[in-house]
Amino acid sequence: MKAARDLRELIGYRELIGVLARREIRARYRYSLLGAGWAVALPVSLMLIFSVVFSRVANFQTGGIPYPVFAYAGLLPWQLHAGILTGGARSLTDNTVLVTKVYFAREVLPLSRVVAALFDFLIASVVLAGLMVWYGITPGPGAALLPLVLLMQLSFGVGLAMFIAGANLLYRDVQYVLQVGITVWMFASSVVYPLPRQGALGWIGYFNPITPILDTYRALLLGAPAPHMGQLAAAVAISAATPIAAWLWFRRVERRFGELA
Amino acid sequence: MNSPRVELKDVWKRLQRRTEVTTLAELLYGLPRRLFQRPDEDGLRPHQFWALRNISFALEPGETLGIIGPNGAGKSSILKLLFRIFRPDRGSVRAQGRVTGLIELGAGFHPMLPARDNVFIYGSILGMSQREIRAKFDSIVEFAELPEFMDMPVKNYSSGMHARLSFAIAAHADPDVLLVDEVLAVGDASFQARCHDWIERRRKQGCSIVIVSHQMHVIQSATRCMYLNRGESLVIDAPRPVIDRYLRDQAERLQDSEAPASDRTGITHVEMLDERGEPIHELTAGTPVTLRVHWNFAEPVSGPVVTLDLLHDDPRYLISTPGGNLAQLSSGDALAGETAVGNGVFDVKIASLQLPIGQYRVNAAVKAHDAFIAAERCEDALRFEVRRPPDSASHALLELPQRWSIAQPTEAGAPPKP
Repeated sequence: MKAARDLRELIGYRELIGVLARREIRARYRYSLLGAGWAVALPVSLMLIFSVVFSRVANFQTGGIPYPVFAYAGLLPWQLHAGILTGGARSLTDNTVLVTKVYFAREVLPLSRVVAALFDFLIASVVLAGLMVWYGITPGPGAALLPLVLLMQLSFGVGLAMFIAGANLLYRDVQYVLQVGITVWMFASSVVYPLPRQGALGWIGYFNPITPILDTYRALLLGAPAPHMGQLAAAVAISAATPIAAWLWFRRVERRFGELA
Repeated sequence: MNSPRVELKDVWKRLQRRTEVTTLAELLYGLPRRLFQRPDEDGLRPHQFWALRNISFALEPGETLGIIGPNGAGKSSILKLLFRIFRPDRGSVRAQGRVTGLIELGAGFHPMLPARDNVFIYGSILGMSQREIRAKFDSIVEFAELPEFMDMPVKNYSSGMHARLSFAIAAHADPDVLLVDEVLAVGDASFQARCHDWIERRRKQGCSIVIVSHQMHVIQSATRCMYLNRGESLVIDAPRPVIDRYLRDQAERLQDSEAPASDRTGITHVEMLDERGEPIHELTAGTPVTLRVHWNFAEPVSGPVVTLDLLHDDPRYLISTPGGNLAQLSSGDALAGETAVGNGVFDVKIASLQLPIGQYRVNAAVKAHDAFIAAERCEDALRFEVRRPPDSASHALLELPQRWSIAQPTEAGAPPKP
């Protein structure tokens, strides 16, 4: 089958994905003052801002978890998600020379951006570990399941990165729409506050896998209330289906990339 | 069944002159029109054209196909089809084994990163594994002749160094099919010669090569040659007759488009005339010719010194002289008493033009005898070709006029009198 052959070809490019991700990371950190500290700077500063603002205007039900830890545990995976989206969106348009002059499976470019975003995520997780030690929070045995949640998030992200990369090559204003979309999406998810699971707004969580994913992270790591199981089930299904659907679409439009880039 | 290494069968490729829709806003705006618009009978929508029509050829291992044709003929599109950057709209394209394309050297280099990192990046993009690159790293550095520059970011590289490094990496990719676009025109002559030697070596090892070039000596070394014009393959044959036909077409086109001489000032063009005064573009070595420099000077040039530089098309002949010329004709003091103004010609008669076979360009310059800088110059003022005499059995580049004799000593020990 053709799809199986294409998938084998893509797996054959796994080394190139790593090489291009490393190129991305090295070039970004080589000539910058803070180096890898940039990966930490954004989620930390957002955490500080939201801690100051929300401590004055609102008092969220965080289930007894100190707000800075609660916020950072949401901002950290959210930054990974946002990084995958913005990096993925520009992965093809930043590399038009590669798209028009060299052949390799085009999926390599958005996938390498996902790997680069994951690298930033791992660096910034050190801060979360530090915060937990500071507030004296010990994760329960459920923390062993964290890699599964990360896998689920990455699966969702890989699909979206491929889709947005292709769309942005076809229509260059997608990246501006995306900037707005990311901001809206952040406040429509349980990133810096918990969302109501019942009532008028409860249904959003069924269509937005990010909310149950973040809730699961917090539950496993910080002992926050368990995620809504219906939402989580929907998130598992969406996260599994997104990369498949996105890839099938990507393979179809990818044939014209060499002419459009 | 044994199938060829590379095969194009009845390939058609459609391209857009400009992309119709580039933003979401345009997509929404143009949607109704697109829905009702049908392609014309040729299968084209507005702004589309056939970049390639009905192209077929096959290459066995060890064969080189040279592709020539004017700009926009579709030469690069063929390479892009073979490299899977383009997909055919009709027909089929097949290439077996590792296909390496040198369509742009150093595609994927990150300018901020040192050359060392870029070796791994570009090598990986060309399909080499990291282990393979590590094993070949020293050999790559040696080939590029840049051992002391491996830690320098490539943004600080000169274009020649850039070309050397990227070709050295590509040269180690061990392709089964090699696609070469004009890229090797950068870099100095000895580098170019080394690249072409390497390509020839790969071919002998069984690599199939498709090469696009405007340099006729490059095409000449191919096993077959395709003349492409407006997306159509006019002829595929041995290089010699194809090149001849192409150059003849080019010369005709040049003559058709030539502006009337009176409109232009400076050196308008240079002609080569045979003994009967007829303009010629090809000759055999040793023929008597006249080179005629046409000029139209608004300002008088007193005591003109005319210089004609004859440049061979093969860059290996460019190595030794600063101007890159193989031969030079200079009027020196011959026209010292004269003044040139308005329209006119300078003629220089050459009793016997002794030049190696090949394609030549002529650069012309005129200066006043007391000036340091040329008042007028004209690059590429004439192109001509020196051919081997039809009855020649030799493969030498140059046959000198020669008369042989034999003499034997009349007395023992005495040398023969000349």
